[in-house]
Amino acid sequence: MKIAVCVKHAIDETELRVDSSGMPQTSGAVSRMSTFDKNAVEEGLRLKSSHPGEVVIFTVGTGDARKTLKEALAMGADRGVLISADPVKIDSLRTAEMLSAAIRKNGPFDVVLCAEGSSDTYSGQVPPMLGEILDGAYIGYAKKIEINGNLARIERSLEDSVEIVEASLPLVTSVISEINEPRYPTLIQIMQASKKPIEELGGDQLAPSGSYQQASIISMSAQSSSRKHVLMDGSPEEAASKLIESLAKEGVLTK
Amino acid sequence: MFHPSKHQEYSELLSSLGEFMEREIIPLSPKLDREEVSITGPRRALFKQGMTQIPFPSEYGGLGLPFSVYAMAVELLGTADASIALSVEIHNAVAEGLLKFGSENQKESHLEDVITGRKLASFALTEPASGSDAGTMATTAEKKGGEFVINGSKMFITNAGEADVYLVFARSKKGPSCFLLDAPNKGLKFGEGLDKLGMRGSKTHEVILSDCRIPEENIVGEEGKGADYAKEILHGARVVVAALNVGISQLAYSKSVAYAKQRRAFGKSISEFQLIKEKIADMKTDINAGRLFYLYASRVKEMGEDFSSEASQAKIFATEMSLKVCDEAIQIHGGYGYTADDVHRHWRDARLLTIGEGTSEVLRMLVARREMARSQ
Repeated sequence: MKIAVCVKHAIDETELRVDSSGMPQTSGAVSRMSTFDKNAVEEGLRLKSSHPGEVVIFTVGTGDARKTLKEALAMGADRGVLISADPVKIDSLRTAEMLSAAIRKNGPFDVVLCAEGSSDTYSGQVPPMLGEILDGAYIGYAKKIEINGNLARIERSLEDSVEIVEASLPLVTSVISEINEPRYPTLIQIMQASKKPIEELGGDQLAPSGSYQQASIISMSAQSSSRKHVLMDGSPEEAASKLIESLAKEGVLTK
Repeated sequence: MFHPSKHQEYSELLSSLGEFMEREIIPLSPKLDREEVSITGPRRALFKQGMTQIPFPSEYGGLGLPFSVYAMAVELLGTADASIALSVEIHNAVAEGLLKFGSENQKESHLEDVITGRKLASFALTEPASGSDAGTMATTAEKKGGEFVINGSKMFITNAGEADVYLVFARSKKGPSCFLLDAPNKGLKFGEGLDKLGMRGSKTHEVILSDCRIPEENIVGEEGKGADYAKEILHGARVVVAALNVGISQLAYSKSVAYAKQRRAFGKSISEFQLIKEKIADMKTDINAGRLFYLYASRVKEMGEDFSSEASQAKIFATEMSLKVCDEAIQIHGGYGYTADDVHRHWRDARLLTIGEGTSEVLRMLVARREMARSQ
């Protein structure tokens, strides 16, 4: 089975700082493989273990994105494709166009895996766009994937329910983080990953730009939340009574 | 920190190890201290990642990376959990001993298993009545037929009771000698686990050798050279101990900075008080000095030069520095530092290492002797 996994070299949100106006400070921020993409790579490797074949990693990015490809190769993927373009300057549709062109060039693939969204912008637009452009079935938010022959059976996790759907291959699917526990590459696997091939393709040559107006992000700010602070003073017994009273007043507890 | 051409590669390796420790080791660390979980599982997982393989040649299952990369990995591990770092450090000291002094047969039969962590190793030198003065050891090894029969006991032995392989030092006809002992062995027994102040996650027992028979070919290197081998093995181990203490200090420091920022007194954060700022500045300065010291000693070792003095200096400085930093961490945390075991355990862990693997006093003697010889 031939499996494509699309990943993003994204700013590590855990190290992102927010300035006093609530704007994330991206300059100097460290980038690495988008957190949920590790689940997509892991799922690709899991599928390969029961359906021998090849796992190829695709990413749109600058030279720094090689780090993310290398991480996926260290996890066990066979080869990587770097599509050169600055992901900050292109929108989701351009990204999907470039990815799908590279996937076609290296294909055909039986399964294209993505994460439900990237850990930086989390728009979640690229996976369904890929499904549309590649003209295959698209199933989002997969929490379990089983493949038998030409048929995929997928449990997709929705807000208040779990759907079980079937689709014929080829298939584009996005996975959620609950689908698996990504493996940590060992030190020797990281060292060996340097020897695995990474093909570099020019994004604009691969997928000439359409005439449409690209979407751009006008602003992005951290979600602010305000909390109520109530200090319970006195002895532990008094404080406990005051806490119960206060919680009851807020409607959290009923007396 | 590394040579620019290799910086990226080594940083990626260390960063991956760090991520692994963050997820798999750090959450268990307070539980290891309280002896609520066993060291076996997390240590095995760490071995699988390749922690023990870093500084050894690839022909024996190692990664062939510089010693300084290994020392930095131990610093990371010291930050994650000091007990596991201690266990790994002892294990790898045995691997280094086998690599340096073992026969080809011993390397073939044991070295790859130890380097890759398939077998856990332990270093049995100290005795109830002898430590750094290894020449006075009372444990004996008597040659009988094609075997050595070992009698005596070894004290404060890390990894004892769990290890598959022991590097045992005992006095034979020609003087202190080094032996490779496979567990289990009918003559190998262990005392009760020792109740320690710190490093409580790692197992420490007395090793009792009672008519413990091992094949003659299990002598490591030349008979009578055991004390020299022990010293040489410990030089490398002392650099690693220095790195471990820098790791412990780094964690105590990070917790102190975070606490000082959030703890308020007299209407402001205590981090705004000049005396707390002084502590923070001194702690960080000392930690970085300790880090540079163990990296310097590592570099001298990598260059193939005599690094015995630098190793001892690094250990003296880093272990004493660590005690100071961890003590200040308790001070900054105030009453919570004295009562919450998540802070004072760092001091308890650090406290071992001005004693273990060469006391500060003995190491100062070694440094003075070596430096005076150098200046002649």
